Amino acid sequence: MTARLPSLLLLLALLAGWEAWCRLGAVPALILPPPSDVLATLWSEMATGRLWPHLAVTATEMALGLCIGAIVGLCAGILLAEFPALSRLLRPYVLASQLVPKLALGPLFIIWFGFGLTPTIVITALICFFPLMENTVTGLAEVDPARRELFRMLGAGRLQTLLRLKLPAALPVILAGLRVAVVLALVGAVVGEFVGGRSGLGASIIAAQSVMDSSLIFALFIVITALGMLLYEAVRVLERRVLHRFPKG
Amino acid sequence: MSTDPSPAGFVVIDGARFSYGGAWPAIVDGIDWTIPRGELHCLLGRSGCGKTTLLKLAAGLILPEEGTIRIGGETLRGPGERIGFVFQAPTLLGWLSALDNVLLPISLKRRVTARDRAAALDLLALVGLAELAARRPFELSGGQQSRVAVARALIGEPDLLLLDEPFAALDALTREELQDDLLRLCGMRGTTALFVTHDIAEAVYLADRVAVMAAGRVHHAQPVPLPRPRHRDMRYSPAFAATCRDLRDAMDVGTGIAPSQRPAA
Repeated sequence: MTARLPSLLLLLALLAGWEAWCRLGAVPALILPPPSDVLATLWSEMATGRLWPHLAVTATEMALGLCIGAIVGLCAGILLAEFPALSRLLRPYVLASQLVPKLALGPLFIIWFGFGLTPTIVITALICFFPLMENTVTGLAEVDPARRELFRMLGAGRLQTLLRLKLPAALPVILAGLRVAVVLALVGAVVGEFVGGRSGLGASIIAAQSVMDSSLIFALFIVITALGMLLYEAVRVLERRVLHRFPKG
Repeated sequence: MSTDPSPAGFVVIDGARFSYGGAWPAIVDGIDWTIPRGELHCLLGRSGCGKTTLLKLAAGLILPEEGTIRIGGETLRGPGERIGFVFQAPTLLGWLSALDNVLLPISLKRRVTARDRAAALDLLALVGLAELAARRPFELSGGQQSRVAVARALIGEPDLLLLDEPFAALDALTREELQDDLLRLCGMRGTTALFVTHDIAEAVYLADRVAVMAAGRVHHAQPVPLPRPRHRDMRYSPAFAATCRDLRDAMDVGTGIAPSQRPAA
């Protein structure tokens, strides 16, 4: 707590400065609403219950996109690491799929999947896929050659070596990839909603923009940031538990 | 123990030659060596003389380009099942306890039984780690990790133990303790062993017979005239010192020959 105190004080100072600037400098509320307005808007959104369905939609898209992207990325990473020939064949295509701006795929996905949650989930999964795959490939490739030789000496098969040596050894690197993926998942979900969402926090921002409600936009920023921090911390907790408990599990 | 079908020796290395990708000069260049059952032999040599490669050939981790390696009369065609290998580094798995690391060779093959656990605990007790069985490798000292590695190599009751400078990174006193542990464990089961080292005193203390390698060849070999069981006091005996000096001279001769056989660095 004492370690966090300075950053908390900094936040309060910044908010106070912002509030003072808005009031004394007579900045139009449309350009920059004072924090007190933003908080009031946020409170009313929560109290009226308008916020919750949107939060639920974005959280669902994010969670599903993250899960699908992470699992596919992990599996793809394992395949590419285990079969170098496959890696040589598919690497350029995988890279290309990541270099296409995902946002640009949005309109196409709407044609394919309609206006529901699906296009956003697909975009989120595409974004989350890459860090998991990259970190899995890196983690598996970095396994100590002496330990591989040990497993060869002990007569371990390919699958055994993967499950008993390579994956456990690569786990810290893979989980670091998951942490990156969580942050990207939020970007994926919100930006995906910009393009085709009818509901969700990203869609709400577009809706607020159309009525020039900048204090609502700021309120939504706060919600999105809080959601991201919550999930990031959740993954950190998972990481600590897995890395600590994996040997016995 | 099965009866030994080859009277010549339990481990027979016959004209083994190996080079990475056919490069010249060969890393292991036509070596003949025989270890009778139950004996401990040391391969002594400077870094890069090919002794680790010869050990991997004996393990079946690599196969010779020419010549054969026979263990108990059978030609090796892959990593030998009845061979225990102790690597230069302990190579323990960080996410397993010391006990589970010792049990790894078994748990890779089948379910671990209560009897296996008891055997592993016995082995850990024999290397003085009975109380530390639940510890993770990072909670153990370097010497303790090496002990776990030796116990892991012995859990399958191998006929042949191959050791690649396993104690090189340890301090002198810990090294001597581990040498005594190793002699005791090999003596108990009559395990045949081939031990690679660059430490002359270690070779003399452990071995029944020492081979000196240079540039991929064995160019000197001699028996160690010390009785079994070995004891710490023997390290200071005249016979020990004389054997060390002989081997030292042999290693110098090795470098004297080497320049003519190797391209200049």
